[in-house]
Amino acid sequence: MEIGNVGITEVSKPTNSEAQISHLALDIGGSSLIKLVYFSTNSDDSSSSNDSLAASNGDRGRPVLEGKLHFAKFETQKINDCIDFIRSKQLRLTGSEQHGASGSAKCVIKATGGGAFKYADLFKEKLGVSLDKADEMDCLVAGANFLLKAVHPEAFTYMGGQKEFVKIDHDDLYPYLLVNIGSGVSMIKVDGPGKFERVSGTNVGGGTFWGLGKLLTKCKNFDELLELSHRGNNRVIDMLVGDIYGGMDYTKIGLVSTAIASSFGKAISDNKELEDYKPEDISRSLLRMISNNVGQISYLNALRFGLKRIFFAGFFIRGHAYTMDTIAVAVHFWSKGEAKAMFLTHEGFLGALGSFMSYEKHGFEDLKVHQSVQQSPVGASLGGDKSHDPPNGDLNENQSIDCSVYLS
Amino acid sequence: MAGFGTNDIKGREKEDEGDKNSNTLESHVVIRTEGEEVGQSSSERDTIHRSGSRPQLDLSKAAIQGNFEERDPAILLPNQSDDLSHLALDIGGSLIKLVYFSRHEGQSIDDKRKKTLKERLGISNGSRRSYPILGGRLHFVKFETNKINECLDFIYSKQLHRGGMDARIWNPDAPTNESSVVKATGGGAYKFADLFKERLGVSLDKEDEMNCLVSGANFLLKAIRHEAFTHMEGQKEFVQIDQNELFPYLLVNIGSGVSIIKVDGDGKFQRVSGTNVGGGTYWGLGKLLTKCKSFDELLELSQRGDNGAIDMLVGDIYGGMDYSKIGLSASTIASSFGKAISENKELEDYSPEDISLSLLRMISYNIGQIAYLNALRFGLKRIYFGGFFIRGHAYTMDTISFAVQFWSNGDAQAMFLRHEGFLGALGAFMSYEKHGLDDLMVHHLVERFPMGAPYTGGKIHGPPLGDLNEKISWMEKFVRKGTEITAPVPMAPPGTTGLGGFEVPSSKGGTLRSDASALNIGVLHLVPTLELFPLLADPKTYEPNTIDLSDHGELEYWFTVLSEHLPDLVDKAVASEGGTDDAKRRGDAFAHAFSAHLARLMEEPAAYGKLGLVNLLELREECLREFQFVDVYRSIKQRENEASLAVLPDLLMELDSMSEEARLLTLIEGVLAANIFDWGSRACMDLYHKGTIIEIYRMSRNKMQRPWRVDDFDVFKERMLGSGDKKPCPHKRALLFVDNSGADVILGMLPLARELLRRGTEVVLVANSLPALNDATATELPEIVAEAAKHCDILRRAAEAGGLLVDAMVSSLDGSNGNSSSVPLMVVENGCGSPCIDLRQVSSELAAAAKEADLVILEGMGRALHTNLNAKFKCDALKLAMVKNQRLAQKLIQGNIYDCVCRYEPVS
Repeated sequence: MEIGNVGITEVSKPTNSEAQISHLALDIGGSSLIKLVYFSTNSDDSSSSNDSLAASNGDRGRPVLEGKLHFAKFETQKINDCIDFIRSKQLRLTGSEQHGASGSAKCVIKATGGGAFKYADLFKEKLGVSLDKADEMDCLVAGANFLLKAVHPEAFTYMGGQKEFVKIDHDDLYPYLLVNIGSGVSMIKVDGPGKFERVSGTNVGGGTFWGLGKLLTKCKNFDELLELSHRGNNRVIDMLVGDIYGGMDYTKIGLVSTAIASSFGKAISDNKELEDYKPEDISRSLLRMISNNVGQISYLNALRFGLKRIFFAGFFIRGHAYTMDTIAVAVHFWSKGEAKAMFLTHEGFLGALGSFMSYEKHGFEDLKVHQSVQQSPVGASLGGDKSHDPPNGDLNENQSIDCSVYLS
Repeated sequence: MAGFGTNDIKGREKEDEGDKNSNTLESHVVIRTEGEEVGQSSSERDTIHRSGSRPQLDLSKAAIQGNFEERDPAILLPNQSDDLSHLALDIGGSLIKLVYFSRHEGQSIDDKRKKTLKERLGISNGSRRSYPILGGRLHFVKFETNKINECLDFIYSKQLHRGGMDARIWNPDAPTNESSVVKATGGGAYKFADLFKERLGVSLDKEDEMNCLVSGANFLLKAIRHEAFTHMEGQKEFVQIDQNELFPYLLVNIGSGVSIIKVDGDGKFQRVSGTNVGGGTYWGLGKLLTKCKSFDELLELSQRGDNGAIDMLVGDIYGGMDYSKIGLSASTIASSFGKAISENKELEDYSPEDISLSLLRMISYNIGQIAYLNALRFGLKRIYFGGFFIRGHAYTMDTISFAVQFWSNGDAQAMFLRHEGFLGALGAFMSYEKHGLDDLMVHHLVERFPMGAPYTGGKIHGPPLGDLNEKISWMEKFVRKGTEITAPVPMAPPGTTGLGGFEVPSSKGGTLRSDASALNIGVLHLVPTLELFPLLADPKTYEPNTIDLSDHGELEYWFTVLSEHLPDLVDKAVASEGGTDDAKRRGDAFAHAFSAHLARLMEEPAAYGKLGLVNLLELREECLREFQFVDVYRSIKQRENEASLAVLPDLLMELDSMSEEARLLTLIEGVLAANIFDWGSRACMDLYHKGTIIEIYRMSRNKMQRPWRVDDFDVFKERMLGSGDKKPCPHKRALLFVDNSGADVILGMLPLARELLRRGTEVVLVANSLPALNDATATELPEIVAEAAKHCDILRRAAEAGGLLVDAMVSSLDGSNGNSSSVPLMVVENGCGSPCIDLRQVSSELAAAAKEADLVILEGMGRALHTNLNAKFKCDALKLAMVKNQRLAQKLIQGNIYDCVCRYEPVS
């Protein structure tokens, strides 16, 4: 594609691949998942939506790049698959290049996440690219800000199995609390673009769920574990208020008999071994324990800073209905209904998106998302429908967002 | 320690009025206004009829009267009869906690002498109540909930549910009280109500759990001096709670689940938060993951674990680097159990130790964080963590503290409670209507650590031990096994269990569990006659101990001193009891018990609360008493008293021949010189083989060369004698805290007292309530004074005026001369039985006597150097001692052994 030759200092090199791939950014989680975001121009080169966007932008006369933002993820363990994928798509070729004289200029790819440090050498060796480490928090926030501002519908609430998209008033977006549940959990108070502070966090996160779950159930992967929890009953292992109070509520302090008094507390008095419990029940108890805890700590932090909106993101959630429900219930319970837990459709890709946004000279002055977003692959995996297939953590479960890019 | 039997009053009242049911405060008041005496001889007490129809501790009309300022803040239990017990339960998901009260059989040493003293001191029985006081002991015991039968057996064996076994013993025909009600809290109070009804015939009266937690915590924080402590990096530090700033605070009770409660005052609180990730989660998950059989086992495992094996650390993510931008070090846990994700390992591939530690850190850290966030929300600076999850486990406390510290940037402090697991049970106990403990104050409580059921390494549990014999057998068993006895466990004192009906619960091994914790809970002695010494200039900042035993070197030194002294002490103790086989057996048991205490304290100095020399020395005396060595030095004291009294007349003549000025100096020299007679000092014990008392005394006095190492004599002299023509007015009343028997008190302090009396100053000799080493006791002093008075008019008249010579035997001397206008010489007990004295807890007599005193004289190393050297008083104070310990001499006064301290501190 030879768009934007004119009037721009930076030259986009044509690529050989079918899809017109431009930029690539990575979020390499410490030991769970690698997330990719890359941009490809529309091969049909249609500029049909150009007008409307230009109008909204009020900045005519500048070159516009139409295309798609693609999202992909890999398990960190299978990093070689990821490298193969990048190689196969030649994604790296259009990474930000040095203007150096030498033709085989060093490629630099923006990357965030702990793995950006850990796997830097591997990328150098296998792909010959340098990973340019972008700060994780910066990326998370930039990604979230982008999604909340540019994509609609993006945020939604989830209560009692009902998913409801929320319209975010752009003028009233800040401040908000961003809770990113990866292996661990980061809680970030966001006051504006680039203005944020990590106010809290917890070490009880997705990694705990998966790690403990793996030890307790012998599940082979995260999604399998999540899937199990669907069919479980937490009352088998959790000590409920009713178990302590002989089936009664402890109304004085507002605890109903079904409230969990102590996660896994029933295991104390049962004369059972691990094998005597069903993996489903264990998974369910574990999920509730962790979701509840994250919800509670998030709410307490929101309260501390007077924040009404809490956005939960990160791969722990995975659009898993029960997880979202538990988090939402926890926030609802502790805030007495005052605060609402909200979730992001592109929950897992905040870091990668932010990393993508961090190309200083990516040539994209502004990235505008079409008002109508393609949801085709996205919707299927994120819908509230309980019977849908578990999200697939493997390959090529690509999601994409149509967007236009203004070149400077 | 004065014990005054409530029962005496009641018994007499009953006999007098023939009205067995008039056990009311009103009727009691009648007795008092009639001026009846309290506390008759013990033989009379034993003959009174005891009512068996009132098995419960009768606390009706009970009330604490008086306040801090008052002389006798007494808990009135007019209806309380005998050695009744009083039980409350906290039945939790995993553990059952018992708190029970046993009435303490105090010894009555009241007599006519005391009556005169009381009149003199203004404690008149007519206008004030005497001591119908609830003196007794609070015991703390716990059981695992799934072994509830052991708990039931325990209660049954002690007849706690019937208010103690005594009721039945005295009146076996009394109908078993089917309608007994026991206060209980915790979820199990509902669940096991039927079981208690069926097995023990008692109804559980359910008390609200939160109420109990809070009132238990409030009680502990108010009443126990060393209850709360911080725990950072393995260091335990007790925190003095300012009673005026106690509220509001955040109480985090970590049981199976966690409750977070904001406490604003007595009975004013709100459960503001909680979490379902608590002790039950730790144990439950831990059980599934490690196959541990008990909570303690799991905790123990964690001590050897490395959580880095399973937890994903920040360093794991960032390739070993810190994520300094957001303040996360490489060793920070990024994700608990997160490493298990990427490793190709199964559960079996991880060591249980590592798993336990990861789990412990995960949960502790999480609780700390949620607690802090809640504290922040309400602007609370103090967070107290209680509940059984903690169990004094150092790592748990450290992790919680770290979390609070980390998240609050040091603004908030995590504190822990020694009685952590017993909040609910204590609260249930407090919920008995008018239990009379509400206003109990710090100075009313003394904690003791009897060597009840010793255990080794927290693993061997034994049945509760009833009497002394069982206790000794138990210890012997361990000695034979070559197992080291490492710590005591609270138990019932022999007095309430050794009366014959006690049975060891049917062969159930682990009835009385011991703590795996690093903290021990003793038996709380409630001694309402104890008061704060009113002459302390600043009670809040007063610290009795001069030397800080938290300095390990100091502790080690004292450990060595006490250990080395032990064989000699045991010999003396055995000899004092006639050297019988029984005495030898008890002596051995004492040696083992005390060694175990010492070893325990070396390992964990804060195990029994903040450790000071006062506590350490008192512990030894208590331990002796526990094995029924009443007065080890009795015969030695007698011998020395006789020898000293024999030479006293000569000394007094010598003194009387001197000028006023020379005499005063000689008197002070004499006090210092006579202080060399001290069986507590190794160096002095060696001296005794080298001469008679008077020889040593004179030699010692002749060696007194001024200036002494600390020498304020001239200032003192000026206060006493004035300078030039100015004659100062004498002190109104002087309190003389005496030290050793024999020459020390007779040739040193008594002549000084005589001089003060001669100058028109009332003198109160303050002596120990209970024997400690060769220290003179308040019971011995009157005889000594009486004997001395035979040869001295001044002493005789003063002693008469002070009511010390009520016996006819001495009034024959110079009979008509009895001039009642003489200033009185009195003797009061100080309320303690230790070679040192903690002036925060003295007898009410002493407190009363102190009211009009304007001079305090502290004598001897224990009371003037080891303790109180730095104490400031509201009146003139003179501290006199000879330093009979090289180390102490260097440390305190940069001097040498046998240097003297004469510190005079006039009131400013």
